[in-house]
Amino acid sequence: SAAAAAPSEGAMSNGVYVPPSAANGDVKPVVSTTPLVDFLMQLEDYTPTIPDAVTGYYLNRAGFEASDPRIIRLISLAAQKFISDIANDALQHCKMKGTASGSSRNKSKDKKYTLTMEDLTPALAEYGINVKKPHYFT
Amino acid sequence: RSGSKHATTPADNYYLARRRTLQVVVSSLLTEAGFECAEKAAVETLTEMLQSYISEIGRSAKSYCEHTARTQPTLSDIVVTLVEMGFNVETLPAYAKRSQRMVITAPPVTNQPVTPKALTAGQNKPHPSHIPGHFPEFPDPHTYIKTPTYREPVSDYQVLREKAASQRRDVERALTRFMAKTGETQSLFKDDVSTFPLIAARPFTVPYLTALLPSELEMQQMEETDSSEQDDQTDTENLPLHMSTDDSGPEKENASVLQQNTSLSGSRNGEENVIDNPYLRPVKKPKIRRKK
Repeated sequence: SAAAAAPSEGAMSNGVYVPPSAANGDVKPVVSTTPLVDFLMQLEDYTPTIPDAVTGYYLNRAGFEASDPRIIRLISLAAQKFISDIANDALQHCKMKGTASGSSRNKSKDKKYTLTMEDLTPALAEYGINVKKPHYFT
Repeated sequence: RSGSKHATTPADNYYLARRRTLQVVVSSLLTEAGFECAEKAAVETLTEMLQSYISEIGRSAKSYCEHTARTQPTLSDIVVTLVEMGFNVETLPAYAKRSQRMVITAPPVTNQPVTPKALTAGQNKPHPSHIPGHFPEFPDPHTYIKTPTYREPVSDYQVLREKAASQRRDVERALTRFMAKTGETQSLFKDDVSTFPLIAARPFTVPYLTALLPSELEMQQMEETDSSEQDDQTDTENLPLHMSTDDSGPEKENASVLQQNTSLSGSRNGEENVIDNPYLRPVKKPKIRRKK
């Protein structure tokens, strides 16, 4: 009956089992049952930038047969976010390089940001992706 | 992958169209992030990463799904996959809401690659009942059905006779011309030597000898019977004597005996004396022992 007594000790909310020690708020539950279930319902009317056909094509090549089109949208959204996170990091690098010396104080840095490999490489290095591109072609 | 070939198959076009769509998507994401322009290499890198990311999610989600003895991936599989790939799942709804203002670009591509039916020949065999429907079809019947093609040989007597006669004539002509070209020739015409070459006649010292001696075939047969009766000396001696008694003149007897003796005694070595072609070897006859 120890096993039966254990569940009654912890607090249950939203289908998440919170151990008694976490009731203080010190420890956050690490894993929660799929919080995206609600989000998935919202995805029905939201179309991500990557078309469903394209994502579905690449998923099918990997052997993934999607039963629910919302799953495909979720995956394309996740991939989008992945790329945009990297792009934002590269933008930060670009901005840092531009205003490192504090040259432009009167006017803000010009709006033209160009994504170059020099900015992309350190941004990717933070994710553990090492790219080495040749500078020139012979 | 798309190489430098100019001609692309429909499957390649299909693949390339989707790749271009990914590039457009990457460009739109970069624009949303605030970049005005980008290096081609950078865009290519991000496109490649996007494609790999999607493929990896698909593969990993499939693996997780199959790990639990299921075939249809569910949301939990995807969540676990994203967590494994280092993706913070909780930020996803926030990101979705934030990027609502992004313009939805990249129209989907509609053409599907169809295997060309031009090269199919014949009716493919339908699946037997024990094979599920989603298995590939049988190959074209011409790949495994053998139909022998032969024409009925001409058996008309007249045609065959004609063919045999013309073939023999051609063979004779070819051989005589060959001998004329490689050996000595005599010409009927004084001035024109090469038009009608005749094989030069070799005068023999004893002209009637060839008429009196047994032919090559008989000599061969004699040699064969002699080799089988090697132990029996009397028979070998009897044979030339027997042959010589048939001859009328004494000279012919001597000549014939001489000829045959040399041929019999040197039957082993006779062929080596005769053959001057360096590419030929004397025939090794098997010793046939016949018990008398």
